[in-house]
Amino acid sequence: MIQVENIRKEFELTKKQQKENNTKNKVALAVDDVSFECQPGRIFSLLGPNGAGKTTTLRMLAGILKPTQGSIKINGIDIQKHANEAKKDIGFLTGSTGLYERLTPNEIIEYFAKLYGVAKEDYEERKDNLYTLLGMHDFQDKRIGRLSTGMKQKVSIARTMIHDPKVVIFDEPTSGLDVITAENIIKLIGDCKTQGKTVIFSSHIMSEVDLLCDDLAIIHKGTIIHRSSMNEFREDMQTDNLTAEFIRIINANN
Amino acid sequence: MIFTIFKKELKDTLRDRRTIIAMIVVPILVFPIILALSSTVTKYFDDKQKEEVLKIALISDATDNQFTQRLSAIPDSLGPKELIFRQDTVGLNNEISIDSIQLAFVIPSNFDQDQDSNKQSTIQVYHKGVNLGNKERVKDYLSLIENTLLQERFQRLNLDKQLIDPINEEFIDISSKKEIIGKIAGGFLPYLFIIFGFIGCMYPAIDLFTGEKERKTLETLLTTPVPRWKILIGKMMVISLSGIAAAIFALVGMFAGLRLFNIVDIPGLSAVIDGILTPQFILGLLVLLLPLTIFFAGIMIPATIYAKSFKEAQSVLTPVNFIILLPAFVGMLPNIELDYTTAFIPIVNIVLATKEMVSGTIDPILLIISYLVMVAVAGISVLFSYRRFGKESNIVS
Repeated sequence: MIQVENIRKEFELTKKQQKENNTKNKVALAVDDVSFECQPGRIFSLLGPNGAGKTTTLRMLAGILKPTQGSIKINGIDIQKHANEAKKDIGFLTGSTGLYERLTPNEIIEYFAKLYGVAKEDYEERKDNLYTLLGMHDFQDKRIGRLSTGMKQKVSIARTMIHDPKVVIFDEPTSGLDVITAENIIKLIGDCKTQGKTVIFSSHIMSEVDLLCDDLAIIHKGTIIHRSSMNEFREDMQTDNLTAEFIRIINANN
Repeated sequence: MIFTIFKKELKDTLRDRRTIIAMIVVPILVFPIILALSSTVTKYFDDKQKEEVLKIALISDATDNQFTQRLSAIPDSLGPKELIFRQDTVGLNNEISIDSIQLAFVIPSNFDQDQDSNKQSTIQVYHKGVNLGNKERVKDYLSLIENTLLQERFQRLNLDKQLIDPINEEFIDISSKKEIIGKIAGGFLPYLFIIFGFIGCMYPAIDLFTGEKERKTLETLLTTPVPRWKILIGKMMVISLSGIAAAIFALVGMFAGLRLFNIVDIPGLSAVIDGILTPQFILGLLVLLLPLTIFFAGIMIPATIYAKSFKEAQSVLTPVNFIILLPAFVGMLPNIELDYTTAFIPIVNIVLATKEMVSGTIDPILLIISYLVMVAVAGISVLFSYRRFGKESNIVS
């Protein structure tokens, strides 16, 4: 479960950035007073146009950034106070995640299993399951640099799931991927739900949202402008498709 | 956990061609190549100068003056020469300037008379100052001629030469060969460590911090339940190890160049090298190199965290390299030694301590002070790195 209460994130601006942004403010507000809750066994989608604050919010959930205000609890653990404890339960995957090019999938998966403190027997079993599920056995000893984008994405998935996280955060996981590779991710998100994991993903592709999502929030200019279940969203639609409705809500809050 | 990170980073680093070149290939090859090249070039020019026939013009009224006779008598083992007799200095400047004549002696017409009456004669020597070797040969010729003239004068006056040489100095050198080489190599070795230690640290530092940012792997690493300081220390250990390895490989390369290939011909050199390269010395060196490379890592990491690309990191660190080299130059200066002042100056103290270690004259108290100062500075740089590594604007692009 993820509980987000009134989080706010300010970034300090350097003099150069102030000049570039044509502002005298010493801080830029990226996220303001954002609250929501993601339940286990449900998929929560965070929607918003580019620069809305999706990535910043998810980075705060993953413990990479610290909120300026507010609190985030991962399975009841306050991530600001007990960051490393909370992080053990989180899997984090983005569409632009890089991998160590000079290592092999086996070396990377083993490294991350160790970083998450996964017991050896659990590691062997999960690795085998994930490799079978994703069809990774053939290239497990090849260096990442020699793998295709699709293969790399599979390694990223295995890397995200090797510690069997209870909470999985996907930041635009399919961006820049071809449909076949994207399909792996969509399937993974669906599997996470059936396994009872808490899933949050950010996207602006409404077909994905339609397919997967149970709850959603729309973020725009750093604040939540809509929050509902997917069913409620469909029922209250004033336009004839999801994308048009998404655009309508954004425009109404401009 | 630190060891897990260290192991992975080391594996990753050792698979990077750039690091391998900077850490092993360049340090090991650079000295044998430099030594071989410099000795070959020096030998070539020495031989060339010895074989070169020096055309010397002698300007005087008479061709059989004492100066000319003595000059002609000097054997060709000092370098072959051809004497050309002239009556005047017309066109001489031009001929020397276009190198058709290399030297000219203007001998006064009363040279013989002056010498016979024990007076001083002035000989004008025309030469081209840029040809340094020629001037050296002139000095050799003149001192030989002067010596013979002087001897004749003493005989003529029935005097003993001791009259003008009241002290006969006899130098008895009690410094060992190890000390002599220590003073020479001792200044050079720390310079070597600093330059290669720095380069050895530089590539892994860029790769492990800027590289992670550039390849977008840092974000994933920071989502793991590993405290940031452990990530930092794990990476730092690899950087420091790489610096130490580069310095050691440079040392191996230098000694191998001197010893195995006999590039530099100094009698007894091998024995001296064996005397210097004792297990204690190598151990002492490693102990000194450790805080030095940690310090390097500590000052590099903030720059590599800040930089957004490999190129940017490299352009920030290159000037730092020059700044770090300044104290190393101090170690090459002959009269600066490790004392209670210099022991407190970081880097300079390591340079001077290495110098003393090589010559075997190190004062243990000064060594401990130097070491503690360096450890303290390394500690501060690590703390500084930690602060920078924790800064959100540095780690998230």
